[in-house]
Amino acid sequence: MPVLYKASFGYLLRHPWQLGLALLGICIGVAVIVAVDIANSSSRKAFLLSMNTINGEASHQIVAGPGGVDEELYVHLRVAGGMRNIAPIVTGYVSVDGQTLQVLGVDVFAERTFRAYTQPATGRRSTLNESTFGEFLTKPGAVLMSSAVATKLGLAIGEDFTITSAGRDYPALLIGTTQSSSSSAALANILVVDIASAQHWFDKIGHLSRIDVRLPADQGAAASILAELPPGTELLSAESRTRSITEMSTAFMTNLTAMSLLALLIGTFLIYNSVSFAVLQRRGLIGVLRALGLTRRETFSLIVAEGAALGIVGALFGVLLGVWLGEQLLLLVSQSINDLYFRVTVTNVTVSPLSLLVGFVAGVGATGLAAMVPAIEASGYRPQLSLARSVLERRTRRLLPSIALAGLAAAALALIILPLSGTSLVAGLTAMFLLILGFALCIPVMVDTVSRLAAGVAGRFGGATARLTVRGVSASLSRTGVAIVALAVAVSATVGVSVMVDSFRLAVNDWIGNSLRADIYVGVPGGSLDPELVRDIAQLPGVAEISSSRRIWLEMPQGRTRVLILNRAGPGYGGVELLDAEAEETWRSFEADGAVLVSEPYAYRNAVARGSTLSLNTPLGPQAFNIAATYRSYDANQGTVLMSRTTYRRYWHDEAIDSIGVYLAAGAASQSVMERMREISKGRQSLLMRSNRELRDLSLQIFDRTFVITDVLYWLAVGVAIIGILGSMLALQLERAREFAILRAIGMTPWQLGSMVTLQSGFIGLLSGLAALPLGLLMAWVLIDVINRRSFGWQMDMSIAPSFLLTALALSTGAALMAGLYPAYRAASARPALAMREE
Amino acid sequence: MVNSNVQIRLSHLSRSFQEGAQQHVVLQDLSANFYEGETVALRGRSGSGKSTLLNVISGIDAPDSGRIEIAGLDITAMSERDRTLFRRLHIGFVYQAFNLVPTLTVADNIRLVLQLNKVEDAEGSRRIRELLTAVGLADRRHSYPDVLSGGEQQRVAIARALAHRPRIVLADEPTGNLDDDTADDVLSLLGDLVRQEGGTMIVATHSAKVAARSDRVLELQNGQLIADSRHG
Ligand SMILES: Nc1ncnc2c1ncn2[C@@H]1O[C@H](COP(=O)(O)OP(=O)(O)OP(=O)(O)O)[C@@H](O)[C@H]1O
Ligand SMILES: [Mg+2]
Repeated sequence: MPVLYKASFGYLLRHPWQLGLALLGICIGVAVIVAVDIANSSSRKAFLLSMNTINGEASHQIVAGPGGVDEELYVHLRVAGGMRNIAPIVTGYVSVDGQTLQVLGVDVFAERTFRAYTQPATGRRSTLNESTFGEFLTKPGAVLMSSAVATKLGLAIGEDFTITSAGRDYPALLIGTTQSSSSSAALANILVVDIASAQHWFDKIGHLSRIDVRLPADQGAAASILAELPPGTELLSAESRTRSITEMSTAFMTNLTAMSLLALLIGTFLIYNSVSFAVLQRRGLIGVLRALGLTRRETFSLIVAEGAALGIVGALFGVLLGVWLGEQLLLLVSQSINDLYFRVTVTNVTVSPLSLLVGFVAGVGATGLAAMVPAIEASGYRPQLSLARSVLERRTRRLLPSIALAGLAAAALALIILPLSGTSLVAGLTAMFLLILGFALCIPVMVDTVSRLAAGVAGRFGGATARLTVRGVSASLSRTGVAIVALAVAVSATVGVSVMVDSFRLAVNDWIGNSLRADIYVGVPGGSLDPELVRDIAQLPGVAEISSSRRIWLEMPQGRTRVLILNRAGPGYGGVELLDAEAEETWRSFEADGAVLVSEPYAYRNAVARGSTLSLNTPLGPQAFNIAATYRSYDANQGTVLMSRTTYRRYWHDEAIDSIGVYLAAGAASQSVMERMREISKGRQSLLMRSNRELRDLSLQIFDRTFVITDVLYWLAVGVAIIGILGSMLALQLERAREFAILRAIGMTPWQLGSMVTLQSGFIGLLSGLAALPLGLLMAWVLIDVINRRSFGWQMDMSIAPSFLLTALALSTGAALMAGLYPAYRAASARPALAMREE
Repeated sequence: MVNSNVQIRLSHLSRSFQEGAQQHVVLQDLSANFYEGETVALRGRSGSGKSTLLNVISGIDAPDSGRIEIAGLDITAMSERDRTLFRRLHIGFVYQAFNLVPTLTVADNIRLVLQLNKVEDAEGSRRIRELLTAVGLADRRHSYPDVLSGGEQQRVAIARALAHRPRIVLADEPTGNLDDDTADDVLSLLGDLVRQEGGTMIVATHSAKVAARSDRVLELQNGQLIADSRHG
């Protein structure tokens, strides 16, 4: 290694603490990015993998509304149309021993060209033979599963077991394991059965969930199928169906990515802080090198190379840490996706080289950028041997107004972007980052002003020592400024996010409280209620009214629409909060005129409002529906269309009910009514019953679970910031060792010196906290009014609990005080004589 | 070895420092010549501008106006980069406060200069041994500067300044921190080495002994250089 590099790295190695903290900052910043990327892409990949496994070789799928595709259509296409490359599918979810599994009901003869794994591999007679085949077709409830699932369920081939579908139990028999040419991860939750069994289990006799189709590339083939389809039945490309499902979670994932970028942004501040510190402290060395004939460019390269080396080492560790952290986050992310969007079981962490590379490059790039500024600074030094500290501070102070102006410009740009960017989430996030950056750049000026003012006050009341303490902050702004900014940004993120989450939680709580009006909610997992049972429940003593609901997805080539069908109970639709229409008229046209309501997210996303129309795919073909109103809803999906049972009946011949709300008669006890319902449902369907309270709690629980990951991310960001403060306090102390030694020499006690350093650190924290409050509130506003709206279409009021603001102040002051302890101890315990000799 | 070829020509140099609203003039219309092979002592009261003058000559500081020619080349007209490269090649500097690189060993401090001048490592090692032997520190080559005494550090600084055989050696109170005997040793060492190489040396100093060893003595007064009266 050239001696030149030895000279400069030698410095870093002599201050391992500083080096370690700088590396840790980079490392965590990178780790968060990698982790979020791994968690997102693993969930997405797991979902795509399972979709691809289930779709097999199908290029297209024929689907219809809630009742499914008529079996006759399949027969017609195959027999009359002579089509070979089609396969009928009946699918749904069942539970076995409390585990949810997906059932794939297939016609084993049609399957061969679609899904190899639906063919039995080993059966009871331990070879692939006709008898396993025969059993599969003839034995009711004969099931194939991958050997992994069998092991998980503790089943041996030939063993009987019970599956539960829509609250009813059915016997099943494991006759063999599936051919495992497909990845076993994707088959982890799949049971393959004959289509007849599946129709029986899912109460779909005569109907199919869909028909899989393999079409050659030319358009003619599709046209000939389309000609055969009855109205309301669609031929959709398998790929676009998968895409429209995954799209639902896109906004959620984008938000997580933005959070991870925030952590990197804070990390970058810290890297900048560390590198510029290291440069400042070595200005003597750099002066010597320049005097010995190192050119500006060489000086620049030296510092950038050093930053890059730091970046590479830190990023490497960050990537490793990120993989580990990614596995932890994955649990949270997939849980949330399951709660909010679609069922996904992630068994594998997919670590794509690309995510690692992105994190690595981001880390090294951020470090390189962060090193650039001090490198330019240092290479501009007149090679004078010791650039006076005061000159440097003066220069920094002179720069402050321009930095603040740049900040204001960034903020102004953000405010220009916001109204011009429509509904673009990426533009919204960009504007938010610009606002954060802009505000951050104004912080040093504010700190300078405040600490000068405070120094006067402190001087008047606390004497020279107090004045020295407070004044020290602004006097060392070139070194403390960036740490203050980093801490302020991190703390403001906690303010912004907690205010947003809290406002959101309040809104959701209100909304749930308002929507859930019935006393008891009854349903069955993964299926519909027996209509007769519903009628019997309505007759039970103690039951006053029953409302019912049904949730269906309608698919069209343009995408999927979620429709919620409601049948009101006596008290009416009080649970639905209308946003833009008057209740009486709305509900009249909802019930009598076939009008529908749309949820707020739906209205936002599709740019519709009261008075416009929307088109839905019915068995009579696409139909236009009038929109009578928009209603409040915080469901996470793309939005929902609300339809009355009367209207639904007019088009669909589907009497299924997914859940009912039971309103108790005056004086009836909910426990005893539930007991009675359990009794009459015995032997028919096992019901899932939840009291109003329970359902409300459950909903909030799911809500909170969604934000656990956000919490984790912002605490990591705070952690990075605390590391930064600790690092800069240590470095500051190191740099001021001589000054401290002189103070000690002229009679300051170790205790006085120690408290001065600690208090100074605490004061820095307090200033960061003060700066963080307005920034945090600004961030909350952007998160609520821009990011949430653009991501999910929700609107809510901002509510600011003072406790969050106090917590933020306490957090930043406390963190900085803590970070100041060790440096204070070191300052106090240094021997003045030694410290004074030190260069 | 003194001959009449001008090595350094200073014409009408001025340098002042701005401190707040106040202008502090240090060098004022200063002109002087230094010849090949001569050793000149630079005297003057503390704060008279000796260090400033040496900094300006070496190019690590720039004059506000005036011209500096070294071996016929106008270094004030050079770009910052060329001036740096020129300094790297032709000037050796011994500082008032040693200014060794604390993170490098004695040998590496010297090697740094050699590497900057692209001297091959094998050749460089030979040169380092030769120099350290000359300054009497051959056995301390692997020590770090902070364990050396002031005189030892100064001898390393001298070895470093001479490593690349510069035409010009500028020494800013090389003995300021040393006791008389050590100062004597260091100075005679420096003088001998410079004379051996035929270089020009300017030494800023308060010491009469140093002055006595030099070919000429100049005094800085009111921003101007004048010949010292007590000397020929
Ligand atoms: N960077 C600077 N900014 C402001 N004033 C400076 C700067 N450098 C030097 N000076 C001033 O210029 C004058 C000359 O300083 P210089 O260091 O050249 O004196 P000197 O003759 O070397 O003194 P000494 O014998 O004490 O080393 C001094 O008054 C000093 O205060
Ligand atoms: Mg001086």
